[in-house]
Amino acid sequence: MSTAIEMSGILAHYDTLGATRAAIERLREAGHTDFDVFSPFPAPELEEAMGIESSPVRRWALIGGITGFTTATALTGLTALAYPLVTQGKPILSWPAFFVIMFEMTILFTGLFGFAGVLFHTHRSRKQLSAGYREVFSVDRFGVYLQDVGASLSEIEKLLQDTGAIEIEEVAA
Amino acid sequence: MATAEIEVPREALPTLEQANDDISRPIYAPSWRYYLLLAICGVGILAGGTAWAIQVKNGIGMAGINNPVSWGVYIVTFVFWVGIAHSGTLISAVLYLTRSGWRTTINRAAEAMTIFAVMTAGLFPLIHLGRVWYFYYLVPYPSTRLLWPNFRSPLVWDMFAIGTYFTISLVFWYLGLIPDLAVLRDKFTGVKKKVYGTLALGWQGSVKDWSHYRRLYLYLAGIATPLVLSVHSVVSWDFAMGIVPGWHSTIFAPYFVAGAIFSGVAMVITIMIPLRWAFGLEKYITKYHFDNMAKLLLFTSLIVGYAYALEFFLAWWSNDPIEKESFAWRAYGFYAGPFWIMVFCNVVVPMSLWFKRTRNSLAALFAVTIFVNIGMWYERFVIIVTSLAHEYEPGGWGIYVPSTTEILILIGSFAWFFFWFLLFSRTLPVISIAEVKEHLAHEHEHGH
Repeated sequence: MSTAIEMSGILAHYDTLGATRAAIERLREAGHTDFDVFSPFPAPELEEAMGIESSPVRRWALIGGITGFTTATALTGLTALAYPLVTQGKPILSWPAFFVIMFEMTILFTGLFGFAGVLFHTHRSRKQLSAGYREVFSVDRFGVYLQDVGASLSEIEKLLQDTGAIEIEEVAA
Repeated sequence: MATAEIEVPREALPTLEQANDDISRPIYAPSWRYYLLLAICGVGILAGGTAWAIQVKNGIGMAGINNPVSWGVYIVTFVFWVGIAHSGTLISAVLYLTRSGWRTTINRAAEAMTIFAVMTAGLFPLIHLGRVWYFYYLVPYPSTRLLWPNFRSPLVWDMFAIGTYFTISLVFWYLGLIPDLAVLRDKFTGVKKKVYGTLALGWQGSVKDWSHYRRLYLYLAGIATPLVLSVHSVVSWDFAMGIVPGWHSTIFAPYFVAGAIFSGVAMVITIMIPLRWAFGLEKYITKYHFDNMAKLLLFTSLIVGYAYALEFFLAWWSNDPIEKESFAWRAYGFYAGPFWIMVFCNVVVPMSLWFKRTRNSLAALFAVTIFVNIGMWYERFVIIVTSLAHEYEPGGWGIYVPSTTEILILIGSFAWFFFWFLLFSRTLPVISIAEVKEHLAHEHEHGH
């Protein structure tokens, strides 16, 4: 972000799930919603504390599944009609046999669309990592990062300290 | 990801940082033994590759297959490797959905095994094709002759099933790897950092990102479970759709799926025992894991044994003289040797797993799984070859013996599989670091 005013963010390190969760809850109580939390492993309790309810990936997967099923239905049905040759004594449109293809393609598209969804929602064409990211966050620490704290810097710093941050740093955004 | 218990003694619990280091230590630390193993695999691949090249040059006559046994070692080995592939998905998807926490430390290697086994299996229809350059006939594309694949054919179903299975397994495996690739990115410097950083796709473990990750992980587990059942069912229909005695049976789909899980679990144990030892991962892959896998092996062995007995019962019950003759010949005819090897390896030997002593002795367990690996190859040989060799007309009966070309390609396939696995074991974490950390963090904080 290249704005004229240098904004400053604040980053707190935590070493337990409990403390991180407490910090998130306190920040939300104080009316802060625009912050990021880094975790070295999947932590449903942190998602809950942040108020994340559902991921849009579910819609990607659903659309993928429907697309796959439709594509396979069209592929098998239309190609059979395009070259209507009776084989194996079966009707031209042999749906029970075609269902195998429809089943497999539904699964294939669900998985691929879902993966595209994850890439879309996590990657966001980000060329480099967030300014608040530290390498210890992939080892054993949690990070709570507020990108733009403005005037309330000291107040937030105290809040983070109270919740048991083991390290606090200021980050130039 | 599941947070259920892994029974590690409390005092032996590593910290998150230790887990990080322990699991990523073997990466890029190869010894001369590693290169020796890699070289052995290289020789095997070269032998198999040369045999294939000669077959492509001279024609499919280099293989022993002919009328009436037109499906031989290639199809046997194809089914064998597809079967091996099944346990990876079983362990990563089915055990995830059932919240069996003990899968945490073995799922990554089992998933890798799935991918490499499918890569191996996928070669065999091409090898069997003889004129390998015509494989694209199976692909639905708008050709100038307006010809499309016959979607009523089990062989076309097979291509869709195996193709989907490979793709979904790869996505599942890669999704699980992304957080671990970020760990490696942060650990290494220079070119390695760049490579792992690119592969990690900018992962930074943001809680919002984890929510997308967890959602897709759950969905992939959900769709991989019916998929894994469908794949070996479709493979079994390659046989069951034919009116060949010994094949045309409705029990084939569950019979094949149980057999696939049986052989796959055996291969996981065969690989995990030396891997754990070589990489010093005793803290993470414990006897508890092997005990559980051994029980799974015993359970599937019972299903497979039941299916063997049921096939004979159904042949007798049908009162069809052709069926009855086919099964009598299977057990007492020319191929009685392979048949009884199959029964001994898959039904008799695994019975030793009823005893805790066998399940807890890694040496004994390793030996049992070797028997199962051999037995399951023979199972497919017995099903495929004995049925084709002894169909309806006595005038059409015949004997098939594998040729040197086929044997060399079979050996080459093992070399190819282990080659990929060796490469994987030194470039990527063989245990899911993020999942182990999740488990350890809960153990440390809540102490249960």
